[in-house]
Amino acid sequence: MLATLFLATACVGIARPEGWAGPTLADDRLVASIERGELAAVDIQDSSGKVLWRFPPKDQNHPDGSKIDPEAIYSTPAVADGTVYFGAYDGWVYALNLATGDISWEVETGGPIIGSAVVEDGVVYVGSDDGKLYAFDAETGALKWRFKSDDNIWATPLVADGVVYVPSMDKKVYALDAASGEEKWHFKADAGLASTPVLADGTLLVGGMDRRLYALDAASGEEKWHFKADNWFWTRPLVLEDTVYAGSLDGKVYALDLNDGSPRWDEPFDTEAPVRAAPLLLDDVLLIVNRKGELFGLDPQNGQLMWPLPIDLAKTVLADPLAQGDMAYISAQGGDLFTVNKDGRAAPLVLTE
Amino acid sequence: MFLWDLLFVNPIANALVILNNIFLSNFGVAIIIFTILMRLLTMPLTLRQIRSSRALSALQPKMQELQKKYKDPKRRQEETMKLYREAGVNPLGCLLPMLVQFPIWIALYNALRITVGGTPESIVSLSQRLYPWSYIEQAVPLENDFLWMDLGQPDTSLILAFIVFASTYVQQRLATPPTTDPRTQSTNQMMLWMMPLMFAFFTLQVPSGLGVYWGMSNIIGVIMYYFAHGPEPINWRTVLMPPSAAPAGKQASRRGEPPSKEKAPAEQPAEEPVEDALFPGSKRKKRLRHGRSRGKRKDRR
Repeated sequence: MLATLFLATACVGIARPEGWAGPTLADDRLVASIERGELAAVDIQDSSGKVLWRFPPKDQNHPDGSKIDPEAIYSTPAVADGTVYFGAYDGWVYALNLATGDISWEVETGGPIIGSAVVEDGVVYVGSDDGKLYAFDAETGALKWRFKSDDNIWATPLVADGVVYVPSMDKKVYALDAASGEEKWHFKADAGLASTPVLADGTLLVGGMDRRLYALDAASGEEKWHFKADNWFWTRPLVLEDTVYAGSLDGKVYALDLNDGSPRWDEPFDTEAPVRAAPLLLDDVLLIVNRKGELFGLDPQNGQLMWPLPIDLAKTVLADPLAQGDMAYISAQGGDLFTVNKDGRAAPLVLTE
Repeated sequence: MFLWDLLFVNPIANALVILNNIFLSNFGVAIIIFTILMRLLTMPLTLRQIRSSRALSALQPKMQELQKKYKDPKRRQEETMKLYREAGVNPLGCLLPMLVQFPIWIALYNALRITVGGTPESIVSLSQRLYPWSYIEQAVPLENDFLWMDLGQPDTSLILAFIVFASTYVQQRLATPPTTDPRTQSTNQMMLWMMPLMFAFFTLQVPSGLGVYWGMSNIIGVIMYYFAHGPEPINWRTVLMPPSAAPAGKQASRRGEPPSKEKAPAEQPAEEPVEDALFPGSKRKKRLRHGRSRGKRKDRR
């Protein structure tokens, strides 16, 4: 009996990173993680779904001789000037040729990379679990500067007007000079911050594990308002005109006034499962995806369902979806890709080698 | 499953996070403190297990007699059960504490997977388990490094597996009641090795945080045994000698129990109530010890 029970216990397995990289579009090719720890470029012209290249290449090692094994990819690839930039759970930042998938350069950080890399003015900014935000030269991978926070950095930084905004698990969001990495200000929340910030009309929006969505003055870091949900905010908010849309791990989607944080809808929309993926506007439909892989099409004005029923992808979805015209691309855990249009018709993206 | 999580997994996960906050954000220390608290909570059951084990030891001479007296297995079984009843001994009493701890192990395992899984996915899952108290939320993400281990991953260095193996063996060795039945002896002998090997094997498969719990729990078990029995029965010989190697009388002597009738018929009458063996501090027992001492003094003279 003991042996049976122990076997049952042991079969549950160890938690292993799966990755939740969202897809990116560039030159008619979708760059996405199509398997755990694997990135690929997929030709989506005429919906061919042909896989053009895969990363990591077989039998290719790091400069130190160790095998390239990204383990898992959480970083949504950033594309600039024909190069794909992303960080991986193995702690390396990779720059790949968009056309061929060949490695242009690779640099190792001190810990797994969870947030996405951001490219701005020839500089790649990426945070690492080692608590540092790195700024690399986009062409060569040379380190320009690094900033050390007091805990892991899991969020994607935001670069705007020569300032890098980066939330950290040390409960602070930092504003740094993009050229030098010098701190301009920081704001302290009550718990770790892992969501990607958004800037709108001089207001920086960032969600935290203290269940609050903060609106800060981007110039000074002073708090303008905060809104408290029933669980953490880990999504990147979406701002449309003067309304902020943010999903929470409490399963609800909130519509708030950008100026004072007051609710815009009568009731928040309840998806009944945690929402980690960022909300997306698909033409005039607000697309919401929850962890269970249920897709909801909402009216942004009042939060009412525009599609009669949610679409069930029957897959775990934690990655941010991507909009292209009236079509959205959704990446599920494990690498399955789906398309959904504004009328609520979803289909898997069939890949061919 | 919902109730299981609500009643076991979530409270344990939250308790671990609270202990983590109290003890310098060190999750390994939190697990050790949690283990101590759990062992204190189940101490009445553990003491009952120790008493059951001692009671079974004390019954060995009578069991031997029954084996000699009744050749018919059915009758022997009936008489054995009668003996247990009369002595107020539950032969399954040794298993109860282990069975009670089992849900805790499984819940702890699940809680550890969630709390120190360390992966972003497990942190998202953790958000659904934690109570909405800012004191708890401040702790996320938890530091899962402890000594040489990543508490969310199996310890491949074999050190923890060895600690779990050795501590399980010692505890098992001390807790196994001696027996004169060759079949039970053989089973005990097998279990004495199987259990530590099994636990050591699972330590290599599960998050090392669970191995820390097992190792610590065993060590506390041995300490409890020490205080319940006194230092006498715990020595290298007791620990290393197989439990069935010695006759019941010697076994009982080593455990601080009265020797069997075969060895000292005058000192241990067959009719002696088992309660005396169960409670060595009783007046009757004291009288017996006193008598033995006087006998020795007489011999010296």
